[in-house]
Amino acid sequence: MTELKTITLAAAALFGLTLLMPSQSVEAADAKEKSMKSRVVADQLDNPSGVAVRPKTGHVFFASRDGVHRLVPGKTGKVYPEITSYPTDVYGKGPKYNIGPLGVGFLGNDHLVVGDGSRPDGEELVRVYKISADPATQPVGEDSAEFTLGPIEQGEDSAKGEGNFYGVAVNKAGIFITANGDDTKGWILKAEVKNGKPQELKAAIATKVATGVDAPVAITNGENGEIVVGQMGEMNVPGDSLLTVYNAKSGELLSSYETGLSDIAGLAFSPKTGKLYAADFSWAKPEDGGLFELITDGKEVTVKKVMSLDKPTALAFDKRGRLYITVFGSAEEGSEENAGQLLIVPAGL
Amino acid sequence: MKSVSLQHFNLTPGKGSNGISTGKSPLVMIISFSMALSFISVKTLHAQVPLGLPELKESKENPSTPGKIELGKMLFFDKRLSTDNTISCASCHDPAKGYSNGEQFATGVDNQKGGRNSPTVINSAFHNFQFWDGRAATLEEQALGPIQNPIEMNMKMDLALERINGIPEYRKRFEEEFGEPASDETLAKALAAFERTLLSGDAPYDRFEAGDKTALSEAAQRGKDLFFGKANCSACHSGGNFTDNSFHNIGIGMDQEKPDEGRFAISKLGGDTGAFKTPTLREIARTAPYMHDGSLKTLKEVVEHYNKGGIANEYLDEEIFEMNLTEQEMNDLVTFLKEGLSSESYPLVEAPELPE
Ligand code: HEC
Ligand code: HEC
Repeated sequence: MTELKTITLAAAALFGLTLLMPSQSVEAADAKEKSMKSRVVADQLDNPSGVAVRPKTGHVFFASRDGVHRLVPGKTGKVYPEITSYPTDVYGKGPKYNIGPLGVGFLGNDHLVVGDGSRPDGEELVRVYKISADPATQPVGEDSAEFTLGPIEQGEDSAKGEGNFYGVAVNKAGIFITANGDDTKGWILKAEVKNGKPQELKAAIATKVATGVDAPVAITNGENGEIVVGQMGEMNVPGDSLLTVYNAKSGELLSSYETGLSDIAGLAFSPKTGKLYAADFSWAKPEDGGLFELITDGKEVTVKKVMSLDKPTALAFDKRGRLYITVFGSAEEGSEENAGQLLIVPAGL
Repeated sequence: MKSVSLQHFNLTPGKGSNGISTGKSPLVMIISFSMALSFISVKTLHAQVPLGLPELKESKENPSTPGKIELGKMLFFDKRLSTDNTISCASCHDPAKGYSNGEQFATGVDNQKGGRNSPTVINSAFHNFQFWDGRAATLEEQALGPIQNPIEMNMKMDLALERINGIPEYRKRFEEEFGEPASDETLAKALAAFERTLLSGDAPYDRFEAGDKTALSEAAQRGKDLFFGKANCSACHSGGNFTDNSFHNIGIGMDQEKPDEGRFAISKLGGDTGAFKTPTLREIARTAPYMHDGSLKTLKEVVEHYNKGGIANEYLDEEIFEMNLTEQEMNDLVTFLKEGLSSESYPLVEAPELPE
């Protein structure tokens, strides 16, 4: 931290910041970062919203409206459908998007946890599938999961039942799933894992009660076992997205940062540099969406734009430090084709 | 919800740096530590926000001073800001009526009526958006609107400024506070500085949450549980100011021939059609009638509206649904709103003596 920066921050603290609009708080991409380019590794995807890299083989699993797919990276980079036949639900109030399974994450090397958004609130499920070493010749049905967790029905915890299970993070404390159906509590759900077997799915962290902002979506593991979360806030309000940190065991809120970003949908730490990256979907103003680096320091966060992206939804690094990104993209007017893509950014972030 | 804001703005030095560890050097930790400390000492110099409200972030462009607040208060009550000297801000935002004015639609000069109900200006200091459709971002930006609005105060701005600067005491006060006579900008700043002092918190609800279990009657406690639970109110009326600072279509006016399109006119997002800003519910017992069109006369009517799932339309928010609350439950909710959110320290400002 340079002295100059300390002074500016201290001055900002002294005067008390007025609510920062994104244009003020987000630094533009600098010259070096502008050269950072992404490459399309899969396209014509139907609203892809989750991505995870299998720890041992580096196979890339991503979820889109029509199911879960596997990319075997390499020169030819082929995509195989892995799990299919999910129902379809609708998300948003205009624009609206068709959605299916939303988030993916690995439990060990052989089990894929899928946060599902394809059903109505109160009926939504978390599925845990056993994954074979190689792509299957035939995809399996969505109900062929080895474990099925949930639903969180209407009741004490949720006035209308929880739904839109989205991000997945797995750590020592268990499986964590962000949920987006119940706006009074903004639950992060948790299932402990005993002897490799996931236990009951429970409403664990009421993010809206803790921060006043709901819609936890992005979730990833911090360095010391804490969970790091992106809360979208209201989708028709720009600039209200939070970066929050919770104790995985107790659920206690450790930090909350007003990022000035609009809708943080993906978060990932670079395995090479330890830097934290966020994908901002920017629901109301898609032209502001992109990949951002978030630098936290005490109570403050600095946000740096790395590249613009068209409605990015999820991030995952592989071991070599390459970053995979899913984006919804925008279909051309009148086009029947799906505009979603899986992108890769070469190592260096 | 009070614990919300306290947590969120927690200044305990340990907390901030407790968060994400990305292998920071001890030096950085020390710097952020001392920053947090200086923040605390400065904060204690500032006006205390009533119990239960979020931290009030002072406007960087318009820091408050006692002189500015006093000046803004005079202007707020001064009818000379309207063409025919009949209407002041306080005519529509009347301290005796919860800073609203009891009418369905605001009445401006020449008895003209607009199409929207006067919202309270209490706690508007916390808003990220002003007006029902959020078309202004700050109180400064908002303040000049009504003066020039033909059916509110209908004044040409230069005429208003001429009048103000023609009154020696106003002129003197503006020069003291801003180093110049009244201008668009300084007039707006003075009004905004005054409005930022109109805060309501420390209500029975806040005291109850802070540990005083006698602060709410049993009926109000039941109503509170419904509000944050089964009745789903806190999906939108959340946080210390009971608003998510967002826009929702709850069906109000959607059965009219030409419904007010609300936020859509500003954002052009389809989903914002018929959506209006979630208003604060503090001091709600004082501000009837309710909603952007003043169409609901009592809080009971409001609760009945929600209980039946609002008014069906294509853009109805998904947090609005039929609830099947019993008569008793609806009454308990109303009791919570009236009893729980009315503060003893309501900012009842009296009209100051105005300069001649
Ligand atoms: C003729 C009645 C009338 C007068 C006079 C009037 N207002 Fe208003 N005020 C309204 C109405 C009606 C609205 C809501 C309009 C809308 O949302 O489109 C409003 C909105 C506001 C808001 C936004 C509150 C919120 O929650 O969004 C503020 C602040 C405000 N007025 C302050 C003032 C000030 C300051 C003055 C004097 C310069 C003033 N008003 C004069 C009727 C009036
Ligand atoms: C989907 C979000 C949402 C939910 C859920 C919700 N409200 Fe509202 N509330 C609003 C909005 C938006 C308005 C303004 C609507 C308008 O004027 O068209 C409003 C207006 C009100 C008003 C009138 C305020 C005024 O100043 O005119 C009251 C009172 C109120 N709500 C109470 C409640 C109660 C009690 C509940 C639970 C039963 C509830 N609300 C649930 C969003 C919501």
